[in-house]
Amino acid sequence: MMRTTIKRRLSGMVLLVAAVVALFWGHRQLVPVMRHLAYLTGWLLLAVCLFLTAYNARKKLPFLPLGNSRTWLQIHAYVGYFSLALFFAHTGWRWPSGAFEAVLASLYLAVAASGVAGLVWSRIVPRRLTARGCEALYERIPIIRRKLAEDAEALALASVATTRSTAVADFYKLHLAGFLGRPMNGWKHLAEVRSPLMRIEARIADFDRFLAPDQRKVLGELAVMVVQKDGLDYQRSLQLSLKLWLFVHIPLTYSLLILTVLHVVIVFAFSGGAGAN
Amino acid sequence: MDTPRNQVERLGRQDNPFDPEFPETDLDRIAALAPFKDMDPASFPKKQPLRMILQSDTRIRRFKRGEIIVRAGDYGSSAFMIVGGDVRVVLPPGLPDRVLGRREPAKRSVFRAVAQLWANHRNPEVRTPEELGGGGGADAESGSGVFLQDVPRLIGKNKTVTLGPGEFFGEIAALSRMPRTATILCDSDDAELLEIRWQGLRDILKHDPALRAHIDALYRKNTLSNALRSFPIFQHLDEEQLFQVAAQTQFGTYGEYDWSGDYKKLAKAGTNSVDKETVIAQEGDYPDGVIFIRSGFGRLSKRFGSGQRTLNYLGAGRWFGLREITHNWRDPGSAVPFQFSLRVIGYTHTLFVPTRVMEQVVLPGAPNALLPRPLTPDELDVDDDDPLKEQGGFAQRIGPELMEFLTGRRIFNGTSTMVIDLARCTRCDDCVRACAATHDNNPRFLRQGPVSSGIQVAQSCMHCVDPVCMIGCPTGAIHRDASAGDVVINQATCIGCTSCANNCPYDAIRMVEARDPGGDFVTDKESRPILKATKCDHCIDQYGGPACERACPHDALKRMDMTRLDTFATWLNR
Repeated sequence: MMRTTIKRRLSGMVLLVAAVVALFWGHRQLVPVMRHLAYLTGWLLLAVCLFLTAYNARKKLPFLPLGNSRTWLQIHAYVGYFSLALFFAHTGWRWPSGAFEAVLASLYLAVAASGVAGLVWSRIVPRRLTARGCEALYERIPIIRRKLAEDAEALALASVATTRSTAVADFYKLHLAGFLGRPMNGWKHLAEVRSPLMRIEARIADFDRFLAPDQRKVLGELAVMVVQKDGLDYQRSLQLSLKLWLFVHIPLTYSLLILTVLHVVIVFAFSGGAGAN
Repeated sequence: MDTPRNQVERLGRQDNPFDPEFPETDLDRIAALAPFKDMDPASFPKKQPLRMILQSDTRIRRFKRGEIIVRAGDYGSSAFMIVGGDVRVVLPPGLPDRVLGRREPAKRSVFRAVAQLWANHRNPEVRTPEELGGGGGADAESGSGVFLQDVPRLIGKNKTVTLGPGEFFGEIAALSRMPRTATILCDSDDAELLEIRWQGLRDILKHDPALRAHIDALYRKNTLSNALRSFPIFQHLDEEQLFQVAAQTQFGTYGEYDWSGDYKKLAKAGTNSVDKETVIAQEGDYPDGVIFIRSGFGRLSKRFGSGQRTLNYLGAGRWFGLREITHNWRDPGSAVPFQFSLRVIGYTHTLFVPTRVMEQVVLPGAPNALLPRPLTPDELDVDDDDPLKEQGGFAQRIGPELMEFLTGRRIFNGTSTMVIDLARCTRCDDCVRACAATHDNNPRFLRQGPVSSGIQVAQSCMHCVDPVCMIGCPTGAIHRDASAGDVVINQATCIGCTSCANNCPYDAIRMVEARDPGGDFVTDKESRPILKATKCDHCIDQYGGPACERACPHDALKRMDMTRLDTFATWLNR
């Protein structure tokens, strides 16, 4: 039996394709009979953009029965795709010649691209975060990391007395303290590159062969902490990327809206009564 | 010296009496009535004598003819003793909701809902003077105040029973945290009732064995037939047959009524395994009767390798062994033993109807639609490596690891458990923000908790079937909303004793330090902070249901009734 999610996505895609085909067919029919068709597509595009922005307002009003955010996001995505078709219908598949319009078009495409990228990223990242483990609330990651670093340092220092040797403590200071003390390898985690952890693990394995059993036990505990810290870095890096994405998409959207209003004012200021037909 | 404005009196249980103005004369009159006058004062502790319990945990209620006292389906936390007059119990199927005046819980006005945009306090955990003061008393049950006109016509074909002075009712719902099973209305021009909140009834029962025996006898006399009738297999029986079944029915009570303490200890020690649970019925044994679950939960398991694999958990209203007994009754030549084991999880109250009674009284006249289908050779010969196939598919769709997790962690208790699909959750915290926005800027859950198979159970009130958090509350501040059944906390009567937070097995209740509207911490006269218990209230006064679920953009968070595993399985495989 087909899963409901797949069924829903298929229905959404079919509707989207139908809407885009209807738009282009309608556009073609109107071109010969409507002199200023760009006004119609322009107002439609503005209405669609305002509707897309309304999703953010819905998020700010959780106490009103305005529908599920889930439904809003799905409609937001499909209407967003539709707006691309509308955008091309509005521009007539040409890149604007004026500087202002070129900026406006670039901004629109940047908003659309960031939206699509964000949607794709938000489908990929949760699976990766879940598969990796070390689940932690983003705000608590620095606290957990600090505690881990303190525990590791205490363990290394204590080993001087318990093993009557500074070997493990020296190794910790030289190779592990820096890694445990601060977030590391942010970009590499995003790209799913595991080599930094493997390098530290290899270093630990190399050192391990020279140790006495009691020292080896301490080093084993430190190795576990290294893996935990790497997991935390992974969580931090991916969760941060999802948070930062919105800091790109939303400011771009508001910039687009402001320039769109200016665009409307300019168009009407210089239209000289066009749009009557 | 003036009391600083942010200092208040620290409240105790006696500071929140059920009736703050209970007259001494009434108290003397009640204490002189049976069964209280026959109780041995020496059996009560000095710190909590009978008179103190009566004073703090009872109140006099008066009703007029036709007035509803309790409604079937409502959650109530008190029992009643008839002091004067008569009441009439309407037996199931009972009266329709329309007649009973049932209505939705009060919502905020649209303006107050929108005003949350700007009117929420900037400081956390601000309480109004009313929420800090300890109003005392308690709301009447939501059915109270509703009158039935033309009672004989409305009652129609429903059977009724009349109860008179000295009789008790409502004790089962009060003590078992279950909904009322029948509607009861006043049948005199003026009836006087003593309402006892469950904390007081619990304490009296603890110290007076005679009343305890009396309540048990009442249960067998008044409630057992109704309890049996609630199971489909008994619905075709006439009064006499039902009486025969009731006479042979045995009660079974397993585990601790207050099971959360033991559970927490076992969970902490990592030893809350299936092996430690009491077996009610063992796979492979002769099926000597059908076990009907009245309250609590049982674990349905099957031998697998050298352990037990959980297939399902059975809650109130479910039964065990009927299929085997029906199979054997139909075909005595190929008798089968119990196919599964049933174990106690926490606290379980059962009704046991022996096989002989089932075969002689219940099964012969039962319509075919009510009888389970016979066990097929395939089912009897289930491969040891796939026992999940037997459970209609949903156990298979959930998977053994998650099933063990749900059962071991006792997640099945939740009627609105917050489950998060981590493979979809972007950790955006829109759910937390929505919760804060609808609760005066205070999120009422933590988006963290145990994880199994990529499903996280967040630390949020699950609005349990069996809310053990209510057990120790001395003032009844934590209670079930009578209409919606949600577990909510009355801030005015919460004395900050932490009993509910300690009892909650899921760490879903948090104690917070209250602030006044100016942002200062509120303290008592010894400058100790005033604590209040807080938790998810299921957005009971908001439009549209829980804000957390509605705020999730990725369909990752769901408030799930975990007593319905089929729904959960469908959601998992959506």
